[in-house]
Parts: sequence; structure tokens; C-alpha cells
Amino acid sequence: MQLEADTAGLRRRLIAASCALLSAATARSEETSVPEKLGRLLENWQIQSAVAYYHEDGRIQAIEPVVSAARETSDGGKIDLNFTFDSLSGSSPNGASPSRAAQTFASPSAKSFDAARHTYTVGPGRLPVDPNYSDARAAGGANWTFNLSRLTQATVGGKFSYEDDFYSATVNASIDHSFNDKNTTVSLGVSSENDFLQPIGGAPVPLSDYTLFEKGGHKSKRGEGLLLGLTQVMTRSWLTQANVSLDRFSGYLNDPYKIISVIDGTGNPVSYVYENRPDSRTRRSAYLENRVAWQRSSVALSLRYMTDTWGVRSDTAQVRLRWWNAARDQYLEPSVRWYRQSAADFYRPWIVNNEAQGPDASADSRLAAFHALTYGVKYGIKLNDRLGWFAREGTEFNLRLEYYQQTIQDGPAGPGALSGLNLYPGLKAILFQFGFSY
Amino acid sequence: MLARTTDAPLVSPLVMEERDGVFAVRFSAMAGPCELLLHTTDRASALESGAIAAGEAWRIEKKYSRYRQDSVTARINGRTGSVLLVDEETASLLDFAKQCFELSEGLFDITSGVLRRAWKFDGSDRVPDAAAVECLLPLVGFDKLYRDGTFLMIPDGMEIDFGGIGKEYAVDRAYDLLMARCPVPFLVNFGGDLRASRPLPHGPWKVAIERPDSDRSAAMMLDVEYGALATSGDSHRFLLKNGIRYGHVLDPRTGWPVQGSPRSVTVAASSCTEAGLLSTMAMLKGSQARQFLEEQQVRFWLL
Repeated sequence: MQLEADTAGLRRRLIAASCALLSAATARSEETSVPEKLGRLLENWQIQSAVAYYHEDGRIQAIEPVVSAARETSDGGKIDLNFTFDSLSGSSPNGASPSRAAQTFASPSAKSFDAARHTYTVGPGRLPVDPNYSDARAAGGANWTFNLSRLTQATVGGKFSYEDDFYSATVNASIDHSFNDKNTTVSLGVSSENDFLQPIGGAPVPLSDYTLFEKGGHKSKRGEGLLLGLTQVMTRSWLTQANVSLDRFSGYLNDPYKIISVIDGTGNPVSYVYENRPDSRTRRSAYLENRVAWQRSSVALSLRYMTDTWGVRSDTAQVRLRWWNAARDQYLEPSVRWYRQSAADFYRPWIVNNEAQGPDASADSRLAAFHALTYGVKYGIKLNDRLGWFAREGTEFNLRLEYYQQTIQDGPAGPGALSGLNLYPGLKAILFQFGFSY
Repeated sequence: MLARTTDAPLVSPLVMEERDGVFAVRFSAMAGPCELLLHTTDRASALESGAIAAGEAWRIEKKYSRYRQDSVTARINGRTGSVLLVDEETASLLDFAKQCFELSEGLFDITSGVLRRAWKFDGSDRVPDAAAVECLLPLVGFDKLYRDGTFLMIPDGMEIDFGGIGKEYAVDRAYDLLMARCPVPFLVNFGGDLRASRPLPHGPWKVAIERPDSDRSAAMMLDVEYGALATSGDSHRFLLKNGIRYGHVLDPRTGWPVQGSPRSVTVAASSCTEAGLLSTMAMLKGSQARQFLEEQQVRFWLL
């Protein structure tokens, strides 16, 4: 038997609940009448947007806005769209080694050394960087997921990326099948990428002398990928995911703007040549991720191993924690990522003049042996009804800050004049991102 | 009251007639006769208002009827075990259903429909055995759903049904839409669940409430000035075995019919949603229905 105070409370609470239901409905209908077109357009779409600012110490800075939108279709499928626009500017290493003397280089657009405005000079002991580096990239992608049966879903999609000197188009398809009471999902995905390169000033002849301006034409490369995945729900709050993938790229895989210093026995540069990489690369990787959630926290631990036919092997480990406040409308997410890779077989920080060597060579520090640590923290707050008509459930602001530190390892010691110079300065970068989901 | 919907075409013709200065616009929705009554002299605006009321009824029926393959309810029930994104209106209805579940201590439960797999109220004596009912109970319980804002996950084997609140919600929605544009007195009546804006100039609205299974078999006439009425009960649906009558009102906590439910409960309240919930809860209280309604200090009619 209930107390009278309780039952009177029941009716009062029922009135409150009814009012909440009906006033929410009225508010929604008013909302769509004010910004009607916008409301209709956004109805059923989950929008995520973010602007990232990326800054490398003394080198490149980039601003990258991203917008993605997702909606469920009436038959239980899903449509995802995303758009990115990157704008990079700053200084990019050209591949040459530091030297005891000042070094003068031509910009990629130069046809000869005679035009002073097309050259730049790097001081003694400094890492040669092209100070006029700038690039803009626009990219978009779409994926459509649909049900083939109650337990089987298929996804088809594509993406396109456009830069002044680079166009890329990828198509992908995958199929997911669940069984074991939907606790187990296996996936199979394939993708195919076609890239077209039109380097500024033309694609250089590999290993040709930098001063001869042997350039011309455009290049292409293509890639195919295969991915096998397994997702297993271990318990109500523990999810584990494993992937293996194989991909292969072939065609023109050089960076057309990267050169290598040719030094003599005293360590001084005598010339520079354009790099040359093998014309195919096959990569195998394995990935394992575990996610465990508790009432107000969760942890995600992921490991990746990758090896390729260029001799690069890499290991990645990442741990991400997330804590929610009691109301579950704010969270803090610290993360640490550790990365290590071995050098490509043909990585050469320089070439010694008249010394025998293989046909492939690159001084690109991204192919050197290095390890890197990334520390990050993200803070998110759900706004719910704190923004008036504009907000809806799921509206969230978030801020992300990351610090990246790369250390190049095991680079050969510089002979003669190169000894004592900082040949492998590594890299420090920060990323600041401001995100908004709607 | 459970709204019984079918796969019949949703849009029916609007029929309008006028008597004593009151226009009645009639249509079919939610498997029953619906009408909008307006006191006006403007024939065109009466028809327009009728179209608004009918449009809202059809919209809600199409969106939430569990008998329609394209409904949100069917989509949710067809994808158990995975996380779904629901729209805000559905999220509000789920919030409301959650509060009703909590307020009624589990008596009002939109997940109780799975019990129909064991219970078929066809007037026969086929009372299910206790084990068949028992094994459905793990699939009943609103608190077993996972909700996070507009995300919803229904465990495998469970289902939801907005039938217990859909019609009353439709009445209130139509009422609110008309209030925003209709200055004249009007009354929205969807299959006996109704709400009036204000009385007629010459007195209250006279509404007939069907009293099913009544010996007199005559409708009960009620005077309504403003506010809402909702009726629960359908005593044509029962099982009879060994002289025991098993009514169709099932207690979601036990899976068995509530004993001593009234044949019919009509409740007056300020909104139709509130009236409907009170009448449904009263049915679920069984023999304590009268006491429950008295404690709520609402006007009610029991049969």
C-alpha cells in the first residue's frame, strides 16, 4: 500500500512527464518552422565537424577543417559523407644533408638556376628545408552501408582527393557477417586506389643530377588492399577486434621533391641527385584492439605490427583512457601512442661519390629508423539543451591537444666535415583540434 | 488503451458535415473512427483544420505502428542487439515511457508485448502453461534497454510497442497543432480518446464514450468543457478456463493477467497522454483500480 504523499506525487510526476513529452514535440515543430530548410536538411543527420591546427617546430603548419555527416537509412543501413580541406604552409626538408657551408637550392618550379626568385639558401650546419612549401588539399568520401540479410551488411564507397599536383581516387567494398548471437562479426574488405601525380616543374628523372633539370611528364601509381577482420564481444563491456591486411602499391612511388646529397670523402657535398624508390611496395599488417568500458570510464588498448617489402617494420602501441563525470555529460580522454620503425633498405642520408650502391636510394627521414611518442588529451562536453533551438541531444564540443616527438635512431655517423653536425634533428609537433558534433 | 492498427491504407477520405454550427470532419486512423469538431462558420478553415488533425494522426500511425514494416517501431524491433540512432521524437517517447515505467514500478511497460507470444486472447480456453510464460519474462522490462540520448539498443528477443501511448499522444499533438492556428472552440476525438480546447458558446461538448460489454450496450454520454478524456479496456478479449476468466490486461512483472480489472476505465485529465496513462495504470492495478484513481484525485468512470 502506498502512502498518500507518494500517489499524489505520482500524478504530479505524470503531469510533468506528459508536459515534457508534448512541449518537446511543440518545440521541435517550432524549431523546424524557423530555420526550416536547414532543419529539414539536418534532420536525421549526425554532423561532426572539427578544425585542427598542426604545427611542426620550425617547419610546416597546417589547418585542417573536417566535416562528416552520417544518417541511417529507412532500411537500417547507413550513409556516411565526409569532406576535408587541408592547407599546409611552411618549411619542408628537401632531403639534402646539412653542411659546413651554406647551400643554395632551386625551388621545384625552377627551370634553371638563373632565376634568383626560384632559389633559396640554407645556412651552414642547418637542415636544408624548402621555406616556400605550401599545399592545399580538398578531399571527400562517401560510404553506403546496407543490409543483405539480418546478419549480413555490405558497404560500398569511394573517396577522392585533389591537390595542385596530386589526384587520388579510391573505391572500396566490404562485407560484414555476424553470428554467435551477433557477438562475433567477421569482415572482408577490398579497395583499389588510383593516383595521378603532376609534380610542379615535372617529375624528375630518378637519380639525375639536381642541376640538370631533367624533368617532365606526369606519373601514376595504383594500389590494391585486402582486409580481414574479426570483432568479438567478449563480455557486455569488453570488445576485442583483430585485423590483418595486405596492400600493394605499384608505379611511381618517389617523392618528386626529395633529393639526396652526394658527398666526397671529406664530407662536403659535390652534387645532389633526385631520389629513387622501388616501383612497388607490399605491406602486411596486423592490428589488435581491446576496449573495456566501466560505468564511468573506459580504456582502449591497440597494437599494430606492419612489415613491407621495402624493409620497413613498425610497431605501434596506443592506450586511450576516458573518464566521464557523474552526469555523463563531460569526459576527459588522455592517450599515449608509441611508435617505432626500422629504416627502409634503401634509406641513405647521403651518397658517397663514386661508391658502389644499389639502384634505389632515398634520404627521406620518413624512411629512416625512428621512434615517436604522442601524448594527447581530449576534453568533451555534451551541450544537450544548453544552446537553445540549435542544440539537440548529442550536440558536443570537444578540444584535443596532442604533442608529438620523433627521434631518429641509428643514423650513420657523418664522415669528415659532417661530423659534429646535427644530421638527424628529429621532429616535434603539436596538434590542437576543436570539434563540434551535431 | 491499446491502439489496434492494421496494414490498411493510411490515408482515408475526409468527410465533413455541419450540424447546429458545429463542423465535424471525420476520417479513419489507428484502426478507428476519428473526428475533429469545430464551432465555426468558416467551412474552408474547418476542412483545413481537419486535414491538419488527420495528417498528424496518420503521421504518428505510420511512424509508430508496429504492424507497418516501414515504421520506426518495426525498424527498432527488427534490429535488436545492435545500437541504433533514433530521432528526437522517438527519444522523447522513450523518455516518457521510461518515466511511466518507473512511476508505475514496472506495471506500465512498452516491452511487455512479447507476452503475446504466449497469450492469445481469442475467447478460447487456451491458457498457456506457466513455463511458457516464465521463459518470456527475461525478455520483458524497460530497464533492460540500453539508452544513451538518441542511441538505443534493444537486447535480442525483446521488442517495444508504442501502442499504449501512441493514440493519446496523437490526440495531444493534433490538439497542439490546432491550438497554434485555430481560435475557435474545437474537440479532437481519436477513437474515443479526446481533448477539447474550450466549451461551445451554448454549453459543453456532448461526447459519447463507447462502453464495451455493457448490458445496456448504449454509449455513455459525457459533458466536456475542456481538457481530455481517455478510456482503457476491451473486454471482448479474454480466455475462459475452469470457470476462471483471464482478462487481456497482463502484469509485465509476472506475465499473468491482472485479477479484478475493471471492464473499462475512463479518466479525465488536462492532457490526453496523462488521462491515458492514468486509465491504463488503473487497469493494471486490477481490483485496486478504484482506490488508485481515488488517490490520484481525478474524475473517472469505472465499469
